[in-house]
Amino acid sequence: MKPLQIKLLRELMRLKGQMLAVAAVVACGISVFVSMSSVKYSLEASRERYYNRFRFADVFVQVKRAPEFYRETVSRIPGVASVSTRIYADVTLDVPGLDEPATGRLVSIPEYRTPVLNDIFLKKGRYIEPGKPEEVIASKPFLEANHLVPGDRIAAVINGRKKELLIVGMGLSPEYIYEVQPGSFFPDKRRFGVFWMSRRALESALNMSGAFNDLSLTLAHGASEKDVIMQLDNLFKRYGSLGAYGRSEHLSDRFIVDEIKQVGIQITFLPVVFLAVAVFLLNIVLRRIVATQRDQIAVLKAMGYSNEDVGLHYLGFAMIPTAVGALAGTLLGAWLGRGLMDIYSEFYNFAELVYYFRFEDVALSVLLSFAAALFGALGAVRKAVLLPPAEAMRPDSPVIYKPGFFDRDVLRNKIPVPVRIIVRNLERRPWKAALSVLMISLSVAILIAGRYTYDSLDRMVQVEFNEKHREDVTVIFNDPMPPSVVFNVASLDGVLEHEYYREEPVRMSFGHRVRRQTIKGIQSAEGLQRLVDKSNRRHSLPPDGIVLTSTLADILGVRPGDRLQIDFLQGKQLHRELLVSGTIDEILGLSAYMNLDALNRLAGDGGALNAAYLRIDESKSGKLYSSFKKMPGVAGIMMLKAMKESFDELIAQSMTTSTLILTSFACILAFAVVYNGARISLSERARELSSLRVLGMTRAEISFILLGEQALLTIFAIPVGFLIGIVLSALLARALSSELYRLPLVFSSFNFLFAFVVIVLVSIVSALLVRRRLTNLDLVEVLKTRE
Amino acid sequence: MPDNPLDIKQQKAVLSISDLSKFYIMGEVRVDALKHVSLEFYEGELAVLLGASGSGKSTLINIIGGLDVPSSGKLFFHGREITAATEAELTSYRRRSIGFVFQFYNLISSLSALENVQLVTEIAENPMSAKEALMLVGLGSRLNHFPAQLSGGEQQRVAIARAIAKRPELLLCDEPTGALDFQTGKLVLDVIEKVNRELGTTTLVITHNASIAGMADRVVRLRSGEVSEDRRNLTRMSPSELVW
Ligand SMILES: Nc1ncnc2c1ncn2[C@@H]1O[C@H](COP(=O)(O)OP(=O)(O)OP(=O)(O)O)[C@@H](O)[C@H]1O
Ligand SMILES: [Mg+2]
Repeated sequence: MKPLQIKLLRELMRLKGQMLAVAAVVACGISVFVSMSSVKYSLEASRERYYNRFRFADVFVQVKRAPEFYRETVSRIPGVASVSTRIYADVTLDVPGLDEPATGRLVSIPEYRTPVLNDIFLKKGRYIEPGKPEEVIASKPFLEANHLVPGDRIAAVINGRKKELLIVGMGLSPEYIYEVQPGSFFPDKRRFGVFWMSRRALESALNMSGAFNDLSLTLAHGASEKDVIMQLDNLFKRYGSLGAYGRSEHLSDRFIVDEIKQVGIQITFLPVVFLAVAVFLLNIVLRRIVATQRDQIAVLKAMGYSNEDVGLHYLGFAMIPTAVGALAGTLLGAWLGRGLMDIYSEFYNFAELVYYFRFEDVALSVLLSFAAALFGALGAVRKAVLLPPAEAMRPDSPVIYKPGFFDRDVLRNKIPVPVRIIVRNLERRPWKAALSVLMISLSVAILIAGRYTYDSLDRMVQVEFNEKHREDVTVIFNDPMPPSVVFNVASLDGVLEHEYYREEPVRMSFGHRVRRQTIKGIQSAEGLQRLVDKSNRRHSLPPDGIVLTSTLADILGVRPGDRLQIDFLQGKQLHRELLVSGTIDEILGLSAYMNLDALNRLAGDGGALNAAYLRIDESKSGKLYSSFKKMPGVAGIMMLKAMKESFDELIAQSMTTSTLILTSFACILAFAVVYNGARISLSERARELSSLRVLGMTRAEISFILLGEQALLTIFAIPVGFLIGIVLSALLARALSSELYRLPLVFSSFNFLFAFVVIVLVSIVSALLVRRRLTNLDLVEVLKTRE
Repeated sequence: MPDNPLDIKQQKAVLSISDLSKFYIMGEVRVDALKHVSLEFYEGELAVLLGASGSGKSTLINIIGGLDVPSSGKLFFHGREITAATEAELTSYRRRSIGFVFQFYNLISSLSALENVQLVTEIAENPMSAKEALMLVGLGSRLNHFPAQLSGGEQQRVAIARAIAKRPELLLCDEPTGALDFQTGKLVLDVIEKVNRELGTTTLVITHNASIAGMADRVVRLRSGEVSEDRRNLTRMSPSELVW
């Protein structure tokens, strides 16, 4: 090895603490980038592959009942590539081992297996056999959650008649990557499942021969989705269509697309912060190295080493830790990415969720980190290159102390010497101090932002599951029921409180903006369901007019006081005009609320109800559930507790994981910044501190001078970090918000306390490490060396 | 002016300096470090450069070694004008022809004695081996010691080994004994003298210690940036005979 390379490696080893800190910061940034880009790409590619392989449709429409020959009609619409019709129905299931009734979505498949749109992926078992109407293929999450296997039987109430279904296969479909019961946001795997069943069998069970109630189609390349949807709406309006829609309104696809988008945000945001800190650290570390090696640089040049040789040598001090960090980060990133994919595969039901680790991502991230290293090293390397050799033989010009604010006579005598030294040092180089404060505060900010999502989810649970919904179960009816029928539910033994609601699908328009939306007619805003916004404030429901989720109002471009055009899609299909009487900034989904009576009047019918919220007596729940199972017209029930559990299990788990990662990374960041700061100032001040020791100051006093400066910077950085953290969280909340949900901006005091404690601990640890060096300071050695 | 003009005819000028000046502008003040210096140094010569602190010795030697550039005047090395050289040419001039020894040794602290010398042999054209160079200065047994494990005199000898390992045509020493005690200083001067004698390297030694002048072929004295004296010693003393 060449002597210059030996020099480089030995000196890197001597500075290993600082260099490892730099490498760790780079590794954090790279691992986030690599893991997130590979996860993003894997999700995108898996989705794409899944959709292509199983022919996921582009446009969907549900109707009450339409004659089969419309399949032909639709296939002749320009831009339509292929069409499939199906029959589907939501039915009540009696699942072995489950007290409550579950909901099954029956979806028709051809008796003989032929390729159709939204095809199924048979994971286990076999396809149904012709002529055996009881055979079904059931969805994987439902079977697994209920510990059922092909060969098991399950009872369903189809069109009022109880039927035994034989599960012959376990399947998955691109339509249900995110499998969730209608009207809900969070999967309840035990109580909702999809069952694919012979079309013949469904036709006869539902009296639907020669008809369909679900149509999906794929578009030809370059076709306009909007035009096709318009044609479909014209065709199927009279068949009870609630409007055709594209993939963007398909709940399952929507969730995945949002997830991919969110991963994308993390790719850009976090690595940028980490690389910025790496740039800063390399900058101060390299400047220090070059400053202490002025004479060595001169000697190298005097020996005949060229400016390039010298420049490359010092660049090595930046490149090697960066390379180490990039390598570690890539490995860590690959591992994290795989772990994240495992979490996703629990969440999303892909036929195959392949983890693609792309060389491009690694190459790009490594390139980025080297660019950052170069950028960080540039100033110092330039200085080394430009240093005139004759000049370098002379020591660096001594800093000029000017009397600062704290040196004024009034203050001078009141402040002890060590404190004055600290303050004067900070005053002397305010920019450096400010930059150090900024870097420490960035780690505080990441801690805050990392825990923010946690607080936000907590608030989400609080609002959605405690404040907004106070029912135990929601009983959902197959078809809108007249109030008289529904009252039977309320009179069952064990029902403590009840409340009904109506859901009316409509088309809302304001100006040129149109949106399919369900209006929810509720009895009051103070009952089992309440109107609660994301700041946990309650809203009241006006007797007339409509209250929209703020995001929905934004989409439509309306404000309270505007008048909205409403087209009812069912019943008399009236056209109405309606006053927007308020908006509510809700967490989940898009809703439009009305007083139930007002909605009934507006729809122009005697009133119909879709579901009931019930609060029940826990001790009588068993009997209650079994009567629901038998009750005609009950499609199924949703249990708030189950939904909360699934939320905790799935979303909270992935969030907890990412919060954990973020928190550890922020700790590394904080440590790297604080430790490096202290080491640099130890190196800068070793002579001065040794002199002070020789002059009779105690170890404690010089430790105080050195570490006091770091402590002061940290104390300044904490409130700044809190502020940046809040801003960062707000940006994050906005970036992560979608039509599906909006993160509320909440900060628990624990969050701040946590960040505070972490940063203080990190500072203490690095102070202890530096103090050990300080007490081992060889006075003679330091004073002997020339500076 | 040299005392014996006949001698000059026989010797070849390695280095010729003509009308060299160097000034620094410090705010309002102009510091003239060198004023119209003209000098020639000859092959194999051991010259001592005397002068008070601030008289311009280091400035001159740095310009000669291609570490610094003059404000005006010319410098020729074997007839080639160094003052007209580009940055790259200066680098190769330093790499090929010049050996430097500094007052504070300026060894690379993270490299052993041997490795410090190898820094030079690595890039030189026809170097002696690093070990050989260290043997020459009497440190054959301390090859793997780091600077911190060597005394000042030993460090300076490593620096000399480092300077001569490339077999430079010109050895420039800026107060090589400045940081050393009498005995150690002598030892170091011994080595310099030996190198000059055995390798025939043209050598310039800066000092403000006039007693060292006895070991030289020639003594040049600077005063306030000007040559105030330039004389030849008829006999050269060995450094061990010097007293100061
Ligand atoms: N970079 C510089 N800027 C301003 N003045 C300088 C600079 N370098 C040298 N000088 C001045 O030039 C003059 C000559 O300096 P030089 O270093 O050559 O002296 P010297 O003879 O080597 O002194 P010493 O024996 O103390 O080393 C001095 O007055 C010095 O202050
Ligand atoms: Mg000098």
